[in-house]
Amino acid sequence: MKNKTLMLVPFIIFAVLCVFLLKGLFGNPKEIETGRLGQTMPAFNLPDLMDENKRWTDKDLLGDVYLLNVWGTWCPTCLIELPYLTKLRGQGVKIIGLYYEQNYDPDFGDSFDLAALQREVKGMLSRTGDPYQFNILDLNRTLALDLGVSGAPEHFLVDKNGKIILHHTGDINERVWRAKFAPKLLELK
Amino acid sequence: MIAELGYLSLTLALAFSILLSVYPMVGAVKGNLRLMQSAPAFALAQFLFTAISFGILIYVTLIDDFTVAYVASHSSTTLPWYYKVTSTWGGHEGAVLLWVLMQTGWTAIVAFASKSLPWQLRARVLSILGFLGLGFILYTLLMSSPFERLLPYYPIEGHDLNPLLQDPGMIIHPPLLYMGYVGLSVSFAFAIAALLMGKLDNTWAKWSRPWTMAAWLFLTLGITIGSWWAYAELGWGGWWFWDPVENASLMPWLVATALIHSLAVTEKRGVFKSWTVLLAIAAFSLTLLGTFIVRSGIIVSVHAFTTDPGRGSFILSFLALVVGGSLLLYGLRAGTVESSSRYKVLSREVALWLNNLLLCVATLIVLLGTLLPMVHKELGLGTISIGVPFFNQMFFYLLAPFALLLGLGPMLRWKQNKFSHLTKKLIGALIVTSVITFAWLYSSYENVSTTTLVGVFFALWVSLTVVIDLLDKLSKEGASITKLGNSFWAMHTAHLGFACVVLGVTLTSAYSVEKQVKVNPGEQTQLNEYSYRFEGVKAIVGPNYKGHAGVVTVFKDEQKVTELYAEKRQYDVGMQVMTEAAIDAKLSRDLYLALGEQLSNGAWALRIYEKPFVRWMWLGGLLMALAGVIMMLDKRYRRKASVASEMKGVTA
Repeated sequence: MKNKTLMLVPFIIFAVLCVFLLKGLFGNPKEIETGRLGQTMPAFNLPDLMDENKRWTDKDLLGDVYLLNVWGTWCPTCLIELPYLTKLRGQGVKIIGLYYEQNYDPDFGDSFDLAALQREVKGMLSRTGDPYQFNILDLNRTLALDLGVSGAPEHFLVDKNGKIILHHTGDINERVWRAKFAPKLLELK
Repeated sequence: MIAELGYLSLTLALAFSILLSVYPMVGAVKGNLRLMQSAPAFALAQFLFTAISFGILIYVTLIDDFTVAYVASHSSTTLPWYYKVTSTWGGHEGAVLLWVLMQTGWTAIVAFASKSLPWQLRARVLSILGFLGLGFILYTLLMSSPFERLLPYYPIEGHDLNPLLQDPGMIIHPPLLYMGYVGLSVSFAFAIAALLMGKLDNTWAKWSRPWTMAAWLFLTLGITIGSWWAYAELGWGGWWFWDPVENASLMPWLVATALIHSLAVTEKRGVFKSWTVLLAIAAFSLTLLGTFIVRSGIIVSVHAFTTDPGRGSFILSFLALVVGGSLLLYGLRAGTVESSSRYKVLSREVALWLNNLLLCVATLIVLLGTLLPMVHKELGLGTISIGVPFFNQMFFYLLAPFALLLGLGPMLRWKQNKFSHLTKKLIGALIVTSVITFAWLYSSYENVSTTTLVGVFFALWVSLTVVIDLLDKLSKEGASITKLGNSFWAMHTAHLGFACVVLGVTLTSAYSVEKQVKVNPGEQTQLNEYSYRFEGVKAIVGPNYKGHAGVVTVFKDEQKVTELYAEKRQYDVGMQVMTEAAIDAKLSRDLYLALGEQLSNGAWALRIYEKPFVRWMWLGGLLMALAGVIMMLDKRYRRKASVASEMKGVTA
């Protein structure tokens, strides 16, 4: 009899595992709870992508709710979401770009042609629509590292006091916006 | 029209899988021989219609029919024909269809290669396989059909096959791996049939063994080639990343390895019966779980891109039904099995029991490492990530006891052994192994870490004990190599393969060096004993890509060793840039070059790796697979053997 209960142990373990798999399936694996969530934006001082003489700091961003979009021209998913983001801008969402250059690695002796990148960005945004108030150029990925960015596109929703409310990896589309971002924005208002 | 025929053909296969899963089983329960005898015909029909369906997918790919969504997104007109064929399993939908093809193929083979089996068992095994086929075919038809059309707007040019997959390794890697996964479903079907009949005796183990061996053989080859492909194609010089997708193939392999050992004990000695059944269920369950992990997007992986809860729900339901059902059956039935044989602590039984224990612990580590981040998050404890160091460290701890046992086990006899019989051999082996390890490492390398010492020691220990055992057997059994039998040679070949893997992993981890340099044409750079002269780049044009090859001449002691071409390709359709590493391979080391970006003034970035003994890992994998072949060629598994002679073989 005792032997028999023992033989049922694998079944019980599997049943428990199934519950987790089911929860995991309908949870969102891309919703990463970064250590940054609930904290304020890290301090930074970085140049503007289009005008290298202008610099942006964390202080400049205070006072408004905004969406920080980590992106790059090399990233196909970013391209796909640009028109939707442009639509959001039309609806009054303030979107700030954090330009993340993937191909440049200073430790590897790479050279970097800013003018070429500016031309490329300009060309691309003229085709897809430009959702950005402005773009911050994070060439050495310091801010991206501080934010815990692991790729592109990623999005951070930041409130008036610079507090990070939401961190979303992957693209934003109608469904994601309605399910995740819209409720949070409503709370902030 | 032709693509619709592919879908229709698969629908017919579905109909036969339903017949196969119902009729023979009803026949077996009711004792109706005619119903039971319908199984092979249904199995064959199920396979034929799946094969037609798969043939049609290959055909529409070859004729560039981009109205078929799958073809449009995985092939292109410029793709060479062999990669077009490869593209049929380069994406999710096609890969699943390939899986179905193999599942039904195995079922058909089992149907006709099991003539010696009593109908009661044969019908049940085939019925269970039919049910598994039913699940996979239904999934393909409902959730992931590769025959969907893109009408009325379709591209004139396809998206091309992911350049990463345009590699000879990719042509054979997935089919081999799937053959392994699907092969494990046969051991599973045998186990469930035995449980259903309440007859867990040695005969079951004997029938199941060659099938399990074949599955393990394919799985071993698949994993080995996958690792080689990652190394040669991804350009990062690594061979194993502990990615969830890699883990999904490793878990069934570990359990299948335990299973082939445990089956040997069950067949020869009649013990561990219920344990062996559990392993057979677990091995196949882990392939299903792996499929779920890979195809549901539940875990973020570099390979797993299909994030579709619909597909995930289907696989999870199927998983719950098949695995839950069989574990429940196991719980209700296996408790009544008793083992009659007796054995002492120092016996081959106990050595194999420990082997099973260690392999299961290893599986558990991989399983936990893969699933814990998700469970952790679902419990509301926040996100954690478990990375390469965790797995490496845990496997390092398991290595010592496992390798020690592996050297010892083959020398032990069944039932019992006197320790005094072993001491002389063991002490001798320990001393010789230690001397060689120290002499070799300290004479060849400046820095020797404990990890390296341990790894090399155990690799040599396993090899040496193989030699000792061979000499021992030869001196006792009339000094004839031919008399030793296939299982003896298979065991030792596999164990030597394991030693090669350990040696390769240890040395390449410890002594690989790499250098990133900026080179101008004509410039020379040195790494270890080799100097590399960058001759410049030349343009290359492939069938569906253009690019450059960095030409590098390698010298050692002023002597030219080889000329290498490290390519950088840009594929025409997707514009992806791919690095094609140049490799000069030798048993003692690989020279591995990857071309980086073009820098200013005609200089190029170049990455140079020297990887000592890296070949030994794949050599080890191939040796293990060879062991599987030797085992399969064993006379005892010849098909013609009658039931009576099989029974005799078991009792003898």
